[in-house]
Amino acid sequence: MAQLILNQVYKKYDGKKKKLFKKQEKNNFAVNGISYTCNDGEFIGILGPSGCGKSTTLRMIAGLEKITAGEIYIGDMLINDLEPKDRNIGLAFEDYALYPPLTVRENLAFNMRAKKKAQNEIDEAIAYVAPLMKIDDLLEMKPSALSGGQKQRVNIARAIVRRPGLLLLDEPLSHLDGKMRQQLRQEIRRMHHEIHCTAIIVTHDQMEAMSLADRIIIMKDGMIQQIGTPLEVYDDPVNEFVAGFIGEPPMNLLHAKIVNKNGGFVFTFAGSELEVQVPKKYGKIVCGGMEVILGVRPTDVMITKKSAAGTQVRIAVYENLGDERRIAVRVGASLVSITTVDDVFYSVGDKVQLAFHEERTHLFDPATGNRIRG
Amino acid sequence: MAQIELCNITKKYKKNTALDDISITIKDNEFFVLFGPAGAGKTTLLKIIAGAEFPQEGLVKIDGKIVNHMESKDRNISMVFENYALYPNLTVYDNIASPMRSRLYRKDENDIKTAVNKVTELMKINHLLERKPSQLSNGQRQRVALGRCLVRNPSVFLMDEPLAHLDAKLRHMMRGELKEMQTSINSTTIYVTHDYTEAMSLADRIAVLNKGKIVQLGTAQEMYFTPRNEFVACLFGEPEINIIEAQIYHESEKVYCKAFNQDVFLYPGTDVGKILTGEERSRVDMGIRGTDIEIAFERPGDDWLEGCVYANEPIGNKVIMTLTAAGNKIAITCPNDTKADLDATVYFKINMDKVLFFDSETKEFITRSDMKKYKKGEETDT
Repeated sequence: MAQLILNQVYKKYDGKKKKLFKKQEKNNFAVNGISYTCNDGEFIGILGPSGCGKSTTLRMIAGLEKITAGEIYIGDMLINDLEPKDRNIGLAFEDYALYPPLTVRENLAFNMRAKKKAQNEIDEAIAYVAPLMKIDDLLEMKPSALSGGQKQRVNIARAIVRRPGLLLLDEPLSHLDGKMRQQLRQEIRRMHHEIHCTAIIVTHDQMEAMSLADRIIIMKDGMIQQIGTPLEVYDDPVNEFVAGFIGEPPMNLLHAKIVNKNGGFVFTFAGSELEVQVPKKYGKIVCGGMEVILGVRPTDVMITKKSAAGTQVRIAVYENLGDERRIAVRVGASLVSITTVDDVFYSVGDKVQLAFHEERTHLFDPATGNRIRG
Repeated sequence: MAQIELCNITKKYKKNTALDDISITIKDNEFFVLFGPAGAGKTTLLKIIAGAEFPQEGLVKIDGKIVNHMESKDRNISMVFENYALYPNLTVYDNIASPMRSRLYRKDENDIKTAVNKVTELMKINHLLERKPSQLSNGQRQRVALGRCLVRNPSVFLMDEPLAHLDAKLRHMMRGELKEMQTSINSTTIYVTHDYTEAMSLADRIAVLNKGKIVQLGTAQEMYFTPRNEFVACLFGEPEINIIEAQIYHESEKVYCKAFNQDVFLYPGTDVGKILTGEERSRVDMGIRGTDIEIAFERPGDDWLEGCVYANEPIGNKVIMTLTAAGNKIAITCPNDTKADLDATVYFKINMDKVLFFDSETKEFITRSDMKKYKKGEETDT
């Protein structure tokens, strides 16, 4: 049981490596001054695209990478210079790294044997974790006889068998196929519910982070973009990057210009005659001529067929996926996607009216990507 | 523009039968999707149409002409492979231009330039024209491969998982572009995928393959609403459809089902009831989609079932809640603000009008309520 604190942590790869990572030469840091606190028993997801520094962060916490600057605490103990084996951490990586000549049981016992634990203590620990990860029936088998999903179960069981204060998971599900991934995701969550250790999972799959974590840290270019619960990062993104990264299908992000019209404001779009009323909440902060990025989720766009006043747009794509319909319309050069559970049918080329859910429309600054709040 | 006929195609690799007596007619201008799990034979079938593999038995006809012994290059086919197959020594521009420089389909350099520019703009790779494939990411390579396939106007497009290596965001966008393009190109397209959303979204018709055989042939709506068996039902939809065994009882004239060892009467509706009674069944498999189950935290009435929260996964616009009841797991799609503690007791109600009924032994589809609405235009496969 432990609280994990990162305080202004930096990581810089030096020497030859730098040439390999062209991007880093610009800002030089793979991890650029990140601070956060994982509460005791919390499940944290670190989410970001490849190269954002999420795995490096995890490796620094585990002690596999040196920290360039900053401090990492577990509880109130500074662990910067502690050997990995003394940090009381359980680790599971994407590849399973099981010892092939040993049975599953021996694999699980290996670390405890190394620490000269008593046999009955080892047996007890294995008897506890095996049902948690559903590997009771596999204990006497060799890794070569196991499927990918089973190997990863064993791998995670091995990470928790010593009951570490902190559990670190690096993309544990990315090798597995869809169905197995979903199943194991649920089981990891249940395992955490049972043993309640502080846990961190690194992933590039937003679905995985959303469904597993209590809170998500979203990283880009070595920096934290936002920390929040799954619902917070989905409903209230702080910038354009988070808005576009979270959600499937992704949020529509449209370049728009605000124009005065009839005493109010409307959004206009390059290459399109479409005009959309600026929601009232933004009335005080926008002005004519201002350029913004308008963000609206596919579930928050409404279309109607009625041919009253207002500009019409053309249906470009209609997809019926059984339980929902996905529709896209052309606005200038971009496709605006719409998701609805209503049983509607459109043909390509149909003209429709477009409206955005006022409360759930976000504005971002095109220069910085930061959210503009009403 | 071409109609493709496959007649009794059988392909064996030594002792393994990859394709077993496949017959399909793909109509002119149709967007036809081959769909199924890994190892189903989708790619093998595509290669046979392309002329890269040869069947031991059966005929391949393009526009009525047998092409079994015609070379690939003479079939006027354009193909994109999953592993890109780009020329490593050529730039992106030259790679995409290459089909139009071949001896058979040579075009004027000016025409090539126009065509390449058009397609690279569509694929959003026009800034990469001077690069070599080694300087591209996998997603970019895939788009170059797709671009090279689309640049020409052949009579048949063959596409093998062309979006598989793209990230979710790009895949979603490219699918939209492809779908929009589909209306403007005058070619027959055969598209291989294992992603059901791609299959449903793009296809005029889908052939579901499993172990070298066609399981079902029809439109996306038929696959989703009247799947031939539980295998097909499980392939379409996310979360996967819940298959629950139920017991059938009779009470005077009325038929009802019971499931999860709970004393709750589930009425399948009169027309379904008649079919179930007529066949004197004592049990049946119910296929229930996550969207057709309602959930409540207090029991709202006697017709609600009881379950225990196994997992609660917010995925943005919805929450997937998994319950356990009498050893079954049930996945339910809930609104995105639903919250529940693990192992809490909750109540759920099945929308019986949407349930698919399958034979518990053979796993074949029996019926569903309002069957007439869905039966219209149903095609029987060979």
